[in-house]
Amino acid sequence: MSLLDSIKSVFGVGAESAASRSGDPEDLFGMSTAYLTMEADLGYSSAGDAGLLFNGVDSSEFRQAVEEVESILEAGAKDTGTEFEVRDDPRGGEWVVLHDPDFEDLVTSVHFAADQLAEAGFGSRLLSGVFSFEDADGRSVYWIYSFRRGAYYPFVPTGTNTQDTSTQVKLESVLDGELTVESDKSYWYPLWPETPGGDPWG
Amino acid sequence: MGLLVALYIGFIGVLSVFTADLLLIVGVMSLFLGGQFFLSDRLALYSMGASEVDESEYPQLHATVSRLSQQADLPKPRVAVADSQVPNAFATGRSRDSSAVAVTTGLMRTLDEAELEGVLAHELAHIKNRDVVVMTIASFLSTIAFLVVRFGVFFGGGRNRNGQVLVAIVASLVVWVVSFFLIRALSRYREYAADRGGAVITGQPSALASALLKISGRMDQVPNDDLRDTSEMNAFFIIPIKAGVVGRLFSTHPSTDQRVERLRELESELETSG
Repeated sequence: MSLLDSIKSVFGVGAESAASRSGDPEDLFGMSTAYLTMEADLGYSSAGDAGLLFNGVDSSEFRQAVEEVESILEAGAKDTGTEFEVRDDPRGGEWVVLHDPDFEDLVTSVHFAADQLAEAGFGSRLLSGVFSFEDADGRSVYWIYSFRRGAYYPFVPTGTNTQDTSTQVKLESVLDGELTVESDKSYWYPLWPETPGGDPWG
Repeated sequence: MGLLVALYIGFIGVLSVFTADLLLIVGVMSLFLGGQFFLSDRLALYSMGASEVDESEYPQLHATVSRLSQQADLPKPRVAVADSQVPNAFATGRSRDSSAVAVTTGLMRTLDEAELEGVLAHELAHIKNRDVVVMTIASFLSTIAFLVVRFGVFFGGGRNRNGQVLVAIVASLVVWVVSFFLIRALSRYREYAADRGGAVITGQPSALASALLKISGRMDQVPNDDLRDTSEMNAFFIIPIKAGVVGRLFSTHPSTDQRVERLRELESELETSG
């Protein structure tokens, strides 16, 4: 923890300042090159799905911002062909879920959505960008970008509340350097699927 | 808080002038309080009858805590649940890595989803602001002063040594009384800060306000027989157990009305700043 953070804590404003710090959607593009390594070195291919998790606010302004995200994605779909839906998961998270077999377009669309929310002044409500990959047997692994930390971490669920840490460590060691990987594992927040084999967005 | 620091520095100055056995007492007590500090998370959970719960038992609660922790840029703390009718919540732990949030089953029954998020975010703000550490340090010398008053009277009373002990006792008494009020003021300040931090984490000050009103309405009616020994824990409760009897100066928490009022101000602030 930095000195500045300690001072903020002493004066009791640490929580407020951390929670209102905006995320940077540009970091999402790190995934474009990491994807090639995932395929070439590790044998994982894109599952064609990605999710943007955010912490919704119950205000008309925020709802309006989400509607703008939807319209910008609809407009963008003409170029990229990316399908999307906005939905709530059963555990209180809100998602923009995107589908596109072309990984480049998928990253671009996630960035579109995140950037639009940030432009509307809600960059601090962005939590995670989640990219889904699968191996030859169809087993899912995820790379999760945490907007709050500005770093990526791997997530390999094996059920609804267990994870395969050895595969996660393997992914971490191969992709570290290419992606900014979160070094403090206590920040590797799991995003459990509702059903075994399901996606985090439920 | 500056006042408290100045008071303590003065106090250490006065104490250091005096006899060695007094310093011995202080040394022993420091060890004792240090031990208490390092065990604080387990002690707090134990005294509330709260036990840690895992993902499979409370998936929803875990997911909410995880999401709010991420918003506050905190590692996810441990999650505990106490089986009690009294709707309450607290946070504990000396460091961010050893911290835990606990809620009662009564709280989960009483509040809706948004309100529960508000309360959890308030507790996470306490963790983020390191309030356990701040309050422990703030209380430390006050406790020492209190002990010097008690044991000083006890030991020094019989044979008088040129009045030095008496001066130490008087100084300690003054420090104890003054710091008592300053600590309570500091605690109230940090409650406001945690309300504000929590409201920014969820983005919904009104949900926390409504939770506070709901809990405080219930608190008066619920007997607290099973919570007799918990007054020292009050600093980290969402609403203190005994309210209204003691004056405002003695209170560790601001009144619910004042907290709700400030949250309303914050709500309109957020609405207008967009």
